[in-house]
Amino acid sequence: MVRRRIQDPTLRPSTTADPATVRVAFEYLACATFWLLVGTAAGLLDALKLNWPDVLAVPWLSFGRVRPIHTNTLFWGWSSMALVGLALYVVARTSRVPLWSPTLSRISLALWNAAAAAGLVTLSVGVTRGPQEYREWVWPVAVIFAAGLVLNGVNAYMTVATRNIPEFYISNWYILGAFCFLTILFTTAYVPLYQHGLGNVVIQGYYMHTAVGMWFTMLSLGIAYYAIPRILGRPIYSYALGVLGFWTNIVFYTLIGAHHFIFSPVPWWLQTTAILFSVGMMVPVWAGGCNLLLTFRGTSGVLQRSYAAPFLLAGIVAYILVSTQGTLEAFRTANIYWHFTNFTVGHSHLAMYGFVAFVIWGAAYGLVPRLTGSEPNPILVGIHFWLALVGYVIYVVSISIAGILQGFAWVAGEAFIRSVEAAEPMWLWRTAGGVLMVASHLAFAVNVWAMRPGRALAATPAAPPVEASA
Amino acid sequence: MNFNFHSSHRAVVGFAFFSYLALTVLIAIIPAASVQDTPGIPGVAARGALAEQGRVVYLREGCGFCHTQFVRDLPLDRPYGRATVAGDYANEDPPLPGTERTGPDLSNVAARQPSDTWHLLHLYNPRAVVPQSVMPGFPWYFEEKAAAGPEDVVVPVPPRFVSAAGHVLVARQEARALVAYLLSLRQPELPR
Repeated sequence: MVRRRIQDPTLRPSTTADPATVRVAFEYLACATFWLLVGTAAGLLDALKLNWPDVLAVPWLSFGRVRPIHTNTLFWGWSSMALVGLALYVVARTSRVPLWSPTLSRISLALWNAAAAAGLVTLSVGVTRGPQEYREWVWPVAVIFAAGLVLNGVNAYMTVATRNIPEFYISNWYILGAFCFLTILFTTAYVPLYQHGLGNVVIQGYYMHTAVGMWFTMLSLGIAYYAIPRILGRPIYSYALGVLGFWTNIVFYTLIGAHHFIFSPVPWWLQTTAILFSVGMMVPVWAGGCNLLLTFRGTSGVLQRSYAAPFLLAGIVAYILVSTQGTLEAFRTANIYWHFTNFTVGHSHLAMYGFVAFVIWGAAYGLVPRLTGSEPNPILVGIHFWLALVGYVIYVVSISIAGILQGFAWVAGEAFIRSVEAAEPMWLWRTAGGVLMVASHLAFAVNVWAMRPGRALAATPAAPPVEASA
Repeated sequence: MNFNFHSSHRAVVGFAFFSYLALTVLIAIIPAASVQDTPGIPGVAARGALAEQGRVVYLREGCGFCHTQFVRDLPLDRPYGRATVAGDYANEDPPLPGTERTGPDLSNVAARQPSDTWHLLHLYNPRAVVPQSVMPGFPWYFEEKAAAGPEDVVVPVPPRFVSAAGHVLVARQEARALVAYLLSLRQPELPR
C-alpha cells in the first residue's frame, strides 16, 4: 500500500529550471498522452475483436489494420514523444543551461504529430508497407518522423555542447546515443538496396529488435539515471556500472535481432550469434537494472511518501524481468515452444508497458510538479498506479499462459483450431487487464492536465504559493 | 582532441555513433546484401496479375500479423509443408515470414485447401466454415444482389447470410484476387 502523500501547498516552480524548456517538455508530454489514449483504444479494440470477431466489422476498424495502428501510435506517438519531452528537460538541466532551441523542438513536435496522424490515417485506409513490424508506415510518413528525430537530436546535442559544467552526466550518454542509434536504424530499415527477398528478413530482425533496444531502452535508462537519484535525493549507486551498461548495451543489443527468425533460412551463423549475444544481454541488463535498484536501497520512506517512486521501481523491476525473459526466449529449445505464440505479445507488453511506460510515468510525476508548480491529485495518481499495475500484470500473465497453451497444443500435434480454443479464455482475461490499463490512462490524462504549467511558471521566485490543484 | 569520456561529449557521441554504425553494417547490411540475391526455385512461374492484386489486398488487411509464411524444419511445422528455404522468398517483396501464428501458416495453403469456394466463404465470414475461428471476416469485399450477373462469382452462403430470400452473395474483384493469391501459395518442389 502506498501511503498517500500530502499535497504540498507551498509547492512552487523550481527556480533553476528554465520556463521555456519546461513548457516544451510539457507540450511533448501532453501530445504523447493524447497518442497514448488513441493507441490504447486501438489495442483494446483489437483485444475485443479476438473475443467477438464480428464486432465493428468495417474495413478501417478491422483487426489487421488496427494492429499496426496500435503498435506504431504507441511506439512513435506516445513512447517517443513522452521520452523525448523528458529527455529534453534532462539534457538541459544536467547541462545547467536552457534548452539550446525550444523552437527547434516545437518544429520537431509538429512533425512528429503530423507523422503520427498521417500514419494513423494511411494505415486505416490500407496504405501500408505490409506487416513488417514497426515499419509499416509508408516512406513519406517515415521521412516526416525522421526529420523531427534529427532536429531533436541536433537540439539535444547542442544543449549538451553548450553546457555550463565540465562534466557530461551519464543520462546524456544514453540520450544522445539514442538519437544517433535511431537515426541509423531507421535509415537502415527504409533504404531498399539490400532488402530483396531474404535480405528483407535479415533487416526486419535487426530493425524490430534494435528499435526497442537502442531507442526506447536507451532513452528510458537515460531518464531513469536522472529521475531516480533526483526523486530519492541521493546519488546513483554506481556511476561505473552505468558506463558499463551503456557500452555493453551497444555491442550486445545490436547483434541479437536474428533471434526473431530462429530455424529460418537466415544464415545459421547469424542465428547462433544472436542467441549467443542474447545471453550476453545479461551483462547490461543486470548491471543497469541492479545499479538503479540498489539506488533505491534503504529508501522505503521515500517510496511511501512519493507517488512517483513506485512507478520507477516497478519500471526497473520489469526491465530486469523482461530482458531476462528475452534471453530465455532466444534459446532454440525454448523457441520451439514459445515462438509464433502469444508469449511474444506478453513479452513486448512487459517491455513497452511494464518498463518504458512506467519509467515515463514515474519521471513525469516526479519531475513535472517541481517544474510547473502544479501537482496532480495524489489519490488519482494512486488510482493510475494500481489500475496500470494490476491491469498489465493480468494482461501479461494471461497472454503468456495463452502462448504456452498454444505452444503445447502445436507440439502435441493437435489440430490448429485446438490452439485457438485453448487461448480463448485467456484472451478474455487479457481484455479485462486491458480495460484496467485504459482506465488508468484516463486517470493519467487528468493528472497531466492538473500538472500543466500555470501562471506561476513565468513568475519570479518570489511568486506566492500556487493553489493545490484538484 | 579530448578523449576523456567524462568530459568530452564529442568523444562519447562519436564513438557510440561509429561503433553502432559499424555493428549495423556487419550484422545487418552485409548479411542482408549477401543473401538478397539468392535465386528463386527453378521452374516456378511468376504469379498471375489477379493473384498479384490479391497479394496487395493481403498486405493491406494485415493478414501477415496472424498468418506466417515460414515453415521450420521442426516436427510441429510438418502440417504446413516442407521447411522454407531462402529461394521461397526470392521473388517476394516484401517476404512475409511473420512472427505470430494466431492462425495457421499459409506457405502451402493451396495444397491443403484447394477449393476457391471454401476460401470465398471463409473470407466472407470465417465462422461460416470454421465455427471456432476468431479471424475477421471481410464482408466489404462481397455484395448482395437480387440476381447474379453473367460474370458474377456467386458465393454459396446459407440463406441466413443474405437479407431477403432469393438474393445471392457475389464476390467483388478484391475477394476474387485474394483467393487467387491464396491459391498461388503452393510450395514448389525443391530440385534434388
